[in-house]
Amino acid sequence: MVLLKSLNPPTEGVRHEQAETTAVMGGQRLGCGTLYVAETRLSWFDGAGLGFCLEYPTIGLHAISRDVSAYPQEHLYVMVNGKVGDENEAEMAEKAADEDEDDNSCSSSSSGGDDDEEGTITEIRFVPSDKAALEPMFSAMCECQALHPDPEDDDSDNDFEGEEYDVEEAEHGHGDIPTFYTCDEGLSSLTQEGQATLERLEGMLAQSVAQQYNMAGVRTAETNNEFEDGMEVDAAAMEAGQFEDADVEH
Amino acid sequence: MESEETGSPPSGSGSTEVFNSIRERTIAENSMVVLLQGLHGEVTTVDLRNESSARGRVVNVDAFMNVRLKDVAYRDRRGQVTQLQDLFVTGRNIRYVHIPDHVDIMKTIESQLAKIHRVRNFASQGGGRKEFKTKTK
Repeated sequence: MVLLKSLNPPTEGVRHEQAETTAVMGGQRLGCGTLYVAETRLSWFDGAGLGFCLEYPTIGLHAISRDVSAYPQEHLYVMVNGKVGDENEAEMAEKAADEDEDDNSCSSSSSGGDDDEEGTITEIRFVPSDKAALEPMFSAMCECQALHPDPEDDDSDNDFEGEEYDVEEAEHGHGDIPTFYTCDEGLSSLTQEGQATLERLEGMLAQSVAQQYNMAGVRTAETNNEFEDGMEVDAAAMEAGQFEDADVEH
Repeated sequence: MESEETGSPPSGSGSTEVFNSIRERTIAENSMVVLLQGLHGEVTTVDLRNESSARGRVVNVDAFMNVRLKDVAYRDRRGQVTQLQDLFVTGRNIRYVHIPDHVDIMKTIESQLAKIHRVRNFASQGGGRKEFKTKTK
């Protein structure tokens, strides 16, 4: 007998939602409801709001079954490590002690290691009325599973010794060269060509400053004096400070 | 700059191998998973830790050794065989992956590592972030 919890359906990170989906757990038909494939967990709720949820690390495998000789309906098969029903009972007893729990965490076998040794599994079948939905259901589960890599995996050796370093730089021997320079560093690192380019550009800049006051045939410096709107435009100050914030200094 | 996402296998029937994060690439490069990633398209048998096994065509193997197979003959612990169209088994639940006899293991590993290095170098070349020429020594 599987006890269903009264839970709220997930609202965030739902990769796929499939209504009219019957859930069958360990051969027992639980009813017709909605399957939610969310990034945090997999859950299913019947019309009355009762349901169950599964944590991805407990799911050993999932598959699309279209072999009607094995099971009369095409469905999404999910194999869970450990027993799902007992955890629900245990958690309900815990929750009776707690007040309101906003966190809809499932208790399905967090100590998965022990159960694996015993080899206890729970087989769950999700039978959607829309058989074409099996592929998106499957894909959504694959994506969400990948978000939950096995934390207990010792073999993957994610601890690397030493400091992180840039592989390309190490391989090409240019590790000590920064990829960009501050103004002062840059000036001293210019090659002859770079220096020439710099001088040319600065020359252009200086020219454009002078030209500013001759734009469209109007001498701006003189024009400003004509407007007595109380706003004093100090042309001289403008010229001097115009490019103060530029990177290249004289 | 490479953007980093959490690792996720391609959805749908994509059979292209994709490293979706720098982290996955690093993990793969430093473990034998690269060998399994070279098996895309091959028909292999995967023995699961719960004594069942699945034989099918490899669609994708990610850095965490999650394996996706298609057109699978799944034999459960009791020996009963069922056909499954698509199967995804988590790395944690895998005991063995059989390497087909015709697969050259060293070559497969070498070509997979070469692919990783190509992706990495492609990203760094032509980055265009250098504003000044590098020092010529």
